[in-house]
Amino acid sequence: MKRRLPFRRWIRRVVQIAFLLAFVGLILATRPVPGETPSWWLKAYFLADPLILVMTVLAAHAVPLLALFSLVTVLLTLILGRVFCGWICPLGTVHALTGWALDKVQKPAKRRDTFSPWQKAKYYILGGALVMALVGGHWITIFDPLVLLYRTVTTSLLPAAQWGIETGANAVYQADPRIGGFKLTSVTEPAYQYLRNHVFVLPKQAFLGTGLILAFFIAIVAANAYRRRFWCRYVCPLGALLGLLAKRPLLRRKVTSESCNECGLCTTACHGASASGLGTGWKPSECFVCLNCSTTCPRDACEFTFQPVIWRKEPAVQPVGLTRRGVLWAAAGGLVGFAFLRATPQGRGSVYHPRLIRPPGSRPEPDFLARCTACGMCMKVCPTGGLQPAITEAGLEGLFTPHLVPIIGYCDYTCTACGHVCPTEAIRPLTEEEKHQIKIGLAAFDVTRCIPYVYGRNCVVCEEHCPIPEKAIYCVETEVELRDGKKRRIKLPKVDPEKCIGCGVCEYVCPLDDAPGIRVITTNETRHDRHQALLPEVEGEEELPY
Amino acid sequence: MHAKSTRREFLWQSAVATGGLLLPAQLSWAAPSETKMVITKWTGPSPQSPTEFAKIATQLTEQAVAALGGMSRFVKRGDVVWIKPNIGWDRTPELGANTNPDVVATLVRLCLDAGAKVVKVGDNPCDLPQKAYASSGIADAARKAGAQVVFLDRDRFREMDIKGERVKTIPVYPEIVESDVVINVPIAKHHVLATATLCMKNYMGVIENRRVFHQDIPTCLADITRFMRPSLCLLDCTRVMLAHGPKGGNIEDVAVRLTLAAGTDIVALDAFGAEMLGRKPSDIGSIVKGHQVGLGTMDYRSLQPKEITLS
Ligand code: SF4
Ligand code: SF4
Ligand code: SF4
Repeated sequence: MKRRLPFRRWIRRVVQIAFLLAFVGLILATRPVPGETPSWWLKAYFLADPLILVMTVLAAHAVPLLALFSLVTVLLTLILGRVFCGWICPLGTVHALTGWALDKVQKPAKRRDTFSPWQKAKYYILGGALVMALVGGHWITIFDPLVLLYRTVTTSLLPAAQWGIETGANAVYQADPRIGGFKLTSVTEPAYQYLRNHVFVLPKQAFLGTGLILAFFIAIVAANAYRRRFWCRYVCPLGALLGLLAKRPLLRRKVTSESCNECGLCTTACHGASASGLGTGWKPSECFVCLNCSTTCPRDACEFTFQPVIWRKEPAVQPVGLTRRGVLWAAAGGLVGFAFLRATPQGRGSVYHPRLIRPPGSRPEPDFLARCTACGMCMKVCPTGGLQPAITEAGLEGLFTPHLVPIIGYCDYTCTACGHVCPTEAIRPLTEEEKHQIKIGLAAFDVTRCIPYVYGRNCVVCEEHCPIPEKAIYCVETEVELRDGKKRRIKLPKVDPEKCIGCGVCEYVCPLDDAPGIRVITTNETRHDRHQALLPEVEGEEELPY
Repeated sequence: MHAKSTRREFLWQSAVATGGLLLPAQLSWAAPSETKMVITKWTGPSPQSPTEFAKIATQLTEQAVAALGGMSRFVKRGDVVWIKPNIGWDRTPELGANTNPDVVATLVRLCLDAGAKVVKVGDNPCDLPQKAYASSGIADAARKAGAQVVFLDRDRFREMDIKGERVKTIPVYPEIVESDVVINVPIAKHHVLATATLCMKNYMGVIENRRVFHQDIPTCLADITRFMRPSLCLLDCTRVMLAHGPKGGNIEDVAVRLTLAAGTDIVALDAFGAEMLGRKPSDIGSIVKGHQVGLGTMDYRSLQPKEITLS
């Protein structure tokens, strides 16, 4: 008996690896280049993601034009089924690789690869998310697979790799070992310098919340030991969306019952657990089109064929079996969940978090949350490394969304990179001139910390670095009395709230690296009309009329 | 491993040892017969285009070095040279926040002509290094002239014993002090605290943790200058920034002077620079301090600087 084309499996694997590498390649390519605006194709994967499109349309009532690319994915799914999951999705490939590795150590008896009713969970998760989006938020995109992987690679895997490379290269450089006449640094130095100048965004890049983000990732990868591709089968809302589109694809599996002896090999090989029994009951919504079944079948009883039209009844397909009750519960869950997310003082807009400094061009908070997927592209591209995932600052709904943490990095005066990479325009793309009109916060001296105020010595490093040509920080000459009664004239720095744009470089450069003498808070940020505490100054008025 | 120290270690140790010796008398070791200071000035029609400006800056530099006795007075065949411009900020040349790129490029060329093995150009910018190197125009110009443009690596600064009056130890960039010659080529500009930033202050670009210097700039600058043992310094006054320094950003704050001073007495050069900025040398703490501790003379006229006018 001839085995059918086992190399088909290898074609799929090569394609999968290629898409995964392309994904990582695009992440690495997302770095600031002086004088250049980041290209749109850096966000190619997000543009091809129909879940992001649907969520943005529902939540923000906006259609990001470029995101219409994802209609290609929709079309692909209508014709071929969930090939996106089986061949393209980089997170899917991570799971497939994990499963492949686990196969080497786990007994086959451990595997259960027939359909489990719990696989319906992802459709209900999607349902809840859609309802949530309909009323204005799309928290679930935290679970979008592309977003999830992008964020994990950017904020934990890459920084860890960079730490290893930097530490290793420096250790070799300092020790300068030789093997005979060969200097190890003659290899390590050029390699390290190449990475430093062309791959890393900045030296020692690191992110807050790395542990949390990584823990979540490890958990979903580890779940493969329980069920292969657990995430894709049970949780993934994008998989669910594609599953709905793949109810009656043109490419269908057909089992010739005369040849099939129900050996079950195809079931064990199935990535998606799409059959309800041994060799029977194919559910296209659950099928990743990995083609393992047809490749594995020793009797050639199983094969994929094209149907000319979607409404053809043959070969028969099985529905997933969603219930109306389940859908209603999911909808209610989404509604109630959203009410809880927004029923917080910050969610109601009655208070503002002083440290939730959003990147320049960010929309007002509710709109921002309706769009931001927390993918981390902006954090990856930020040349100072100041954009960090929010952990508590933006509430549960804003978990891992970007905010500027000036003590880690500031907003560079001439940079507009984040707005140009943002796939959903949660951060609007700005020109440099537009950006200079925008205040993202306001600097305030902490006169219990600032060196001149507290210790009577000159400092004003902050003033030196303030990028505003007329300087938002100015100095007032003041006489201070020293311990021995002597007088000293020093420069006391002050902030002009008219000029300050909240870039935070002052906080970044302050010599006090633990609790800086100057801090940026969100007061007066342009994006919130109601968050304006300071009246504009009137020209030429020294005395305020009371 | 190896009992003998590597070249790098050796140089480092010797740099520390000699730098540590508090012997101000040694600092101006140029023979008395040699010219100590030159001022070159353009008096012709003011440049109408960037190309004309570049030409003038190039000539001013060439003439200044020639009048000092040529680059071979400072750079020997096979030397490793580090040129230390001011590349502090992400600002274009017209804004006068960084050294003029053509002055730097000319120096690179002169060093290579004098037989330097390699000429490195680098600074420790305040703004993002990639941006400051690019927008200052220095990276491009220096590379074209044949230099190796070096980005300082934060991990590679080494705590060195500089035994200053106020600064005892500080992280210094080893590759710079290990070079055979360091050419100091800053731009003259206003500074909010130090009043002016000139040659002595330019050495702040070879160290880390410099933010604390602001608490006593004159003494800290004297300390680091003594450690660096200046040889050839050039003060770029082709454009000078008169206010809102050191970062600036307003073209109105910049005055075109088309002047350049070069020499071996760093305090004298700074004194001259102060006058270019419309200040008295005695107004500037680091100049007074440098004079007091013997790093040079603030009465630059006593050196009878050669004045060369070009047109
Ligand atoms: S936060 Fe500022 S520095 Fe960072 S990417 Fe956005 S614009 Fe650039
Ligand atoms: S840099 Fe810090 S300590 Fe220094 S003046 Fe500014 S706020 Fe105060
Ligand atoms: S945040 Fe600080 S550095 Fe930035 S504009 Fe305001 S005062 Fe200047």
